[in-house]
Amino acid sequence: MTLRAACWLTFGILSAAFLVAPLALVVAFSFGENPHATLPFGNPTLQWYRELFAGDDFLAALQNSAIVTSCVGLLSAVLGTAAAFGFTALDRKLSRLGAQLISLPVMLPPLVLALALATAFSATRIPLGLGTVIPSHLIFTQPFVILIIYARLTAFDRSLIDSARDLGASSLQIFFTITLPLIAPSLIGATLLSMAISLDDFVITFFTIGGGMTLPTLIWGMLRTHLDPTINALGTLVLVLTLGLSVIAFKLTRYKG
Amino acid sequence: MSSVRSRDVAAVAPSFLVWTGFFFAPILYLFVVSFWSVRQYKLVTDASFDNYLLAAGEYRHAIVFTLALAALVGVVTTVFAFAMAYMIRFYAGRFGNVLLFIALTTLFGGYLVKIYAWKGLLGSTGIINQALLAAGLISEPISWLLYSPFAVVITLVHFLLPYALLPINAALRGVDDAPIEAARDLGAPPSRILIDVILPQCERGILTAFALAFFVSAGDYVTPQLVGGTDTFMIGNFIQSQFVNRMNAPVGAALAFATLLMTLLVVALLSLLYRRILKACAT
Repeated sequence: MTLRAACWLTFGILSAAFLVAPLALVVAFSFGENPHATLPFGNPTLQWYRELFAGDDFLAALQNSAIVTSCVGLLSAVLGTAAAFGFTALDRKLSRLGAQLISLPVMLPPLVLALALATAFSATRIPLGLGTVIPSHLIFTQPFVILIIYARLTAFDRSLIDSARDLGASSLQIFFTITLPLIAPSLIGATLLSMAISLDDFVITFFTIGGGMTLPTLIWGMLRTHLDPTINALGTLVLVLTLGLSVIAFKLTRYKG
Repeated sequence: MSSVRSRDVAAVAPSFLVWTGFFFAPILYLFVVSFWSVRQYKLVTDASFDNYLLAAGEYRHAIVFTLALAALVGVVTTVFAFAMAYMIRFYAGRFGNVLLFIALTTLFGGYLVKIYAWKGLLGSTGIINQALLAAGLISEPISWLLYSPFAVVITLVHFLLPYALLPINAALRGVDDAPIEAARDLGAPPSRILIDVILPQCERGILTAFALAFFVSAGDYVTPQLVGGTDTFMIGNFIQSQFVNRMNAPVGAALAFATLLMTLLVVALLSLLYRRILKACAT
């Protein structure tokens, strides 16, 4: 190995450490007796998790997050798949324009989107709650499902569908026996990804939920009040859930960057 | 044929209904509101440019500071991500896949966790100061690590690096080996190959990465609020405070649209000048 290659490799290892170390430390602190974010970690303990799970706030936030995440995942999957099918049949220019429009919410700063939604909900007197959080998440999760499923649909062998149709299969039969099994891994992957994005969202949720809490808004509340050591346990839990969903999603969609 | 078309339109319709009702209409409404005003906590629908004049006057300093800080984050993130992608493309071998896996995994998770992790790291009793003290490099904790523009920049770079890495990595992967080898055989030094062969072909990836990092930083208020301290107020903080504390949606909306417009202008300008900057670097 040349000196140049060795330097680049060192840089690569350092940048990997830069990406991972802050997250790894939160996880490490969550299992250590030391209540402050300082070294040493202290003896290993599950104390912070026990305290976290004993709190009513946490259980309520967990329940809200579970409801929002599963509804957003399900709705993203259904709406996104339908839209992706529509796009494949429309002419290319039109579907391209449609895809760009529907992806706009992902490109706008979350704060602008959050304030637009909060202002509109207040003007129309729609009461804030989980019912307003779910569609607000949907607008920035559905683009991911649409783009992933659209890419999968344009890549697969249409002759399977044509022969099924020639043999007299109905559209519904074709969908459930051929298309759906073929796109299933991508669909599950895209759904999990939209769930990870929904579960992690803080800004939009904060402005559209009204009084309730989800896991990220609970983290925010803990940060604003006092230094509560159970925050590391909560942070670890959110990391495990969101990163876990992402890993499975990327494995299923075979996306490697 | 017409029956097929109506079925396709019906398939796209639910997504677009949600998009229209919960994205397009609210954004349009917010834009209209940005011309209104507030009297006794109630919206008054008398259209004027007053809020935008306020953005260009009283808030000009905050907007310029925000754009400068966001541009700094954008440049640092893009250069860092390019170096990583360059390393992955030319030196890493299988280790490159590990780096990409880390970036992908941490992409969509732990936004708040990442920010408060840095709060713990950078504090005066945090691990970085602890380590520097233990190593004898400093005799008392460095106070400007946390609650400073520095803390905002490092936290945002950490959060945005995976987003910047992916488009640049895709662009670099698309660069052919043949012209690079030809340039090298003809005696071009690596810096020359980078500027004349590689960077022009990565234009889209690099601009996408910069635009992403720049937009997100310019619109963020959580990071400056948690790690920025009292002298790093970004425009997002003012916008958020106009809405939440002062109940003045029109001023907040005008600030948001003014900043949005400025960020779009900066990115448009940069994409016009990209080739020229490269040419200037070459000479």
